[in-house]
Amino acid sequence: MTITDVVKILDGKLIAGDASSPRVVGAVVANDLMSDVLLNDADDILLLTSLASDQSIRTAHIVGAMGVVIHNAKPLSETMIKVANDLAIPLVSSPLSKYDACVRLHDAFVAEERA
Amino acid sequence: MEYNPVILQGQHTSDDEILARTPLDAKALGGDSSEIIMELLQRFKVRDVMKRQVISIPRKATLRDAQRLMRDNRISGLPVSENGRLYGIVSVNDIINGLDGCWMDEACESHMAKNLVVLEAGMPLAFALRYFNNYTYGRFPVLDSDRKLVGIVSQRDVMRALLYELSVEIRKLERKTSPKGDQVRQEAKENFFRKEWAVVHNDLSRAGHAANAIKGILRERKIDRTIVRRVAVAAYELEINICIHSHGGVIVLLISDDKITITAKDRGPGIPDIEWACRDGTSTANDWIRSMGFGAGMGLSNSKRVADEFTIQSEVGKFTKVVCVYNIPHAQQAAEGGAQA
Ligand SMILES: Nc1ncnc2c1ncn2[C@@H]1O[C@H](COP(=O)(O)OP(=O)(O)OP(=O)(O)O)[C@@H](O)[C@H]1O
Ligand SMILES: [Mg+2]
Repeated sequence: MTITDVVKILDGKLIAGDASSPRVVGAVVANDLMSDVLLNDADDILLLTSLASDQSIRTAHIVGAMGVVIHNAKPLSETMIKVANDLAIPLVSSPLSKYDACVRLHDAFVAEERA
Repeated sequence: MEYNPVILQGQHTSDDEILARTPLDAKALGGDSSEIIMELLQRFKVRDVMKRQVISIPRKATLRDAQRLMRDNRISGLPVSENGRLYGIVSVNDIINGLDGCWMDEACESHMAKNLVVLEAGMPLAFALRYFNNYTYGRFPVLDSDRKLVGIVSQRDVMRALLYELSVEIRKLERKTSPKGDQVRQEAKENFFRKEWAVVHNDLSRAGHAANAIKGILRERKIDRTIVRRVAVAAYELEINICIHSHGGVIVLLISDDKITITAKDRGPGIPDIEWACRDGTSTANDWIRSMGFGAGMGLSNSKRVADEFTIQSEVGKFTKVVCVYNIPHAQQAAEGGAQA
């Protein structure tokens, strides 16, 4: 599941970063507390958060995340988009709630495994 | 009826517009400022030095309420504001007049100063200094671009920040120009590298810069990915801690042959109970901090978990210093040496 797949699954839009990134999701972390995210040792994290600020992008960069999804279509500031571009972190905006986004990602993973 | 204060300064302006309007002229800044000071005055914005927790009072409150609030918080000027909107300021003078004229039980709105001079959060410090020169006020309310009250800045706030940043800059210069000091101690070590970043209190928009830069530097040096991540996690947690819990400080990265050291040091307020603070889930963070994604109380324990050695020292009212050391395994060094050869 690449970032373009994530965009499709979550009815989202890619706001920053490279759509053709070959990196695939290694783990989904849905959290609004950045220290909790930093506690996670998984590789290629897809960070799902409602924290629409520079800090979610910076945190994603620290843990080497493959992308960030802001759910509930929260408005994204220009500086946040700039930080995402500067740090080369794909940033997706999705209209779904955190719960719905998680369910869809889960279903997509199950389907992927069966295929 | 809505009352509109007359706001004398601060139209909608972007940082860049303000910068363009600010002449880089030493005289305009009140004397023979060195280049470093000039650069600092431009680089740092009012929002970097202002106090963000503004104590304010509603319009209908009495002068007596204002007096108590000022006494308890030891402040000499109190913004009158509701829902982020600024209506006026009550000063010590207004209180003295109130005592003298026996109208302490009247509403603040009828005795506050309404002709306000305000600063904008995005203005360079040079502007703030000029305001302190041109007006006799001891402090200015700070509005954001939506005209909301977001802070208050006194001359002391500006001076404190400037002095601190200056000392950081001067230390940098000293290290560049003289082979003494830290470098002598490190002389024997070959791949010695040191860099430091100033972390400004409460400026969450900039916090994380140091950690992101540190990650970049370590990746460039081809340090093992898992070590890079562990270093970056601690650097980030400590940088955020300085930003939200302290009056400001520095993050220092030191890379020697076999170790990476991250040092985070700030100028207080210190931690009264270190053992408590290092526990999982203990935090003094307020709602504002939590709304910014922090305050789970995991930062210090997280930093300890990822480091090979972790030390924390603190003195209340003085400083907090956290040091995280990481060992670079020998195989790693060999690989690095090979890559450089
Ligand atoms: N540099 C510092 N200066 C003063 N107090 C500090 C400093 N760093 C930490 N503290 C105190 O220690 C407590 C615990 O810090 P810790 O980093 O573990 O958690 P937190 O910052 O509150 O939340 P989190 O890191 O999970 O976002 C803080 O709430 C604060 O009271
Ligand atoms: Mg913390």
